[in-house]
Amino acid sequence: MSYRSADMSIDFSKRVSPSAAAWDDLVEGMSKSWMWSAMAMQDIRMRYRGSLLGPFWLTISMIIMIAAMGLIYARLFNMEIHRYLPFLTVGLVIWNFVSTVIIEGCQTFLSAQNVITQVRMPFSVHAWRTVCRNLIVLAHNMVIVPLVLIIFNVPVGWTVLLIVPALAILTINGIWVSILLGMISARYRDVPPIVMSFVQVIFFVTPIFWPPEALGVWMQALPLNPLFAAVDVIRAPLLGSAPLTYSWTVLLIVTVIGCIGTFALFAKFRTRITYWI
Amino acid sequence: MAFLRLRNLSVEFPVYQGGSQSLKKMLLAATTQGNLARDAMDRINVRALNDVTLDIEDGDRLGLIGANGAGKTTLLRVLAGIYFPTRGELHASGRVSALLDVSVGLNPEATGRENIILRGMYMNIHPREMRSRVDEIAEFTELGPYLDMPTRTYSSGMMIRLGFAVSTCIPPEILLMDEWLSAGDASFLEKAQRRMETFVGSSSILVLASHSTDLLRKWCNRGILLQHGRIAAQGNINDVIDAYSGAVAQRAGALAHP
Repeated sequence: MSYRSADMSIDFSKRVSPSAAAWDDLVEGMSKSWMWSAMAMQDIRMRYRGSLLGPFWLTISMIIMIAAMGLIYARLFNMEIHRYLPFLTVGLVIWNFVSTVIIEGCQTFLSAQNVITQVRMPFSVHAWRTVCRNLIVLAHNMVIVPLVLIIFNVPVGWTVLLIVPALAILTINGIWVSILLGMISARYRDVPPIVMSFVQVIFFVTPIFWPPEALGVWMQALPLNPLFAAVDVIRAPLLGSAPLTYSWTVLLIVTVIGCIGTFALFAKFRTRITYWI
Repeated sequence: MAFLRLRNLSVEFPVYQGGSQSLKKMLLAATTQGNLARDAMDRINVRALNDVTLDIEDGDRLGLIGANGAGKTTLLRVLAGIYFPTRGELHASGRVSALLDVSVGLNPEATGRENIILRGMYMNIHPREMRSRVDEIAEFTELGPYLDMPTRTYSSGMMIRLGFAVSTCIPPEILLMDEWLSAGDASFLEKAQRRMETFVGSSSILVLASHSTDLLRKWCNRGILLQHGRIAAQGNINDVIDAYSGAVAQRAGALAHP
């Protein structure tokens, strides 16, 4: 019987620069997909253990929220229900993913404290765990989307394939956000509530439950809100239209700046994380 | 060839409390002086390891001895790659298995069997491989039907049986152990010792932190005595144990006759 490696093999015999070590961490973390996907599934199973419907509870609560808001707000914004409900549904499902990744991203290292102080593993594994877990929840919630699109006869063409690169970009953003906010929150414990308040405010200023058209000529400035850009690049293709000009541009710029900035901080402070939590 | 070489290694960690963990206070401190600044940087630096130089080579069975707080667990964590040294260097090569906490990764809501897979995952063993080992591990624990119950229903002795069985299912090149066996019952301890015999036999380096002089004399050939993060004595395990007992007796004597 052959034995696989136990724990992580370490080879500190070569001196590595902090950036190289950070890069190794990211590469190694990404390659351990079996580990973080199993951890993410475990998280979900544990969260809903003992409950009747499991993760579909989230789907149900979302359906109720959509039904309640849909009827009233469609009137308020003078939009027809068959246009407003699909818009609201898709928007809420994506917003749920984006906002939860940001909020749970703060807990990336804090929630893994007992593991980080007992077992050596790449720090990025914890970030992948957070993002993967939320992708699984997103998959559960996405179940409503085809239903709504069919019920309201939304014309969907092959543009829907654009959601694949869109999801890929959002995943990358999820990783750097989890690492960045995870590190900051590990050092400064009042950051998670600050982030939560921030996200709540952004929810109201982003067109999720109100249509972008309500802004009139200011609509073109919307992509400056990167969270709007993130929602737009997935929502628009699903509703059979094109994202606003510059949504993709803003998103790509944010991705690049976020990745570079987070990498720089990660390289500098990676070895301190264990001491902060 | 596995080795662990430390050169002038120090570990200093800041203990943040209250104000210094607050971003708001840190920002305020930048703009005000006096008391607020003092609060924000309110941290104590603990030097857990101080200028440690040590060579551990293939075949070494090293015992770490010292009082509580001397730095044994910190040293083990540095060797495991969990704590990064704040000063000095660590050169290491080899597959490490760090058994520092028997219950790491164990989920109290999951059943014993599920926890076996989970614990294996934290040891970098793929669930597929772990599933093929579950039966042999289950047999070692002797927990029977309890394995299908959530581990929150287990007593601490049962948890140790489970944790130990999983942690020792694969022989590593470098084995780091922080003593936690003492909570097991007599029959389990005997079984654990027999497993340790085969286990330690095939690992090339063992570093064991323990207060049990029997265990140390049995398993180790070298020893180091840690005092306040420094190596106070090193050499043959029996000599170091005697040095420790001597130091303890001396302190006890000093306390009894001030």
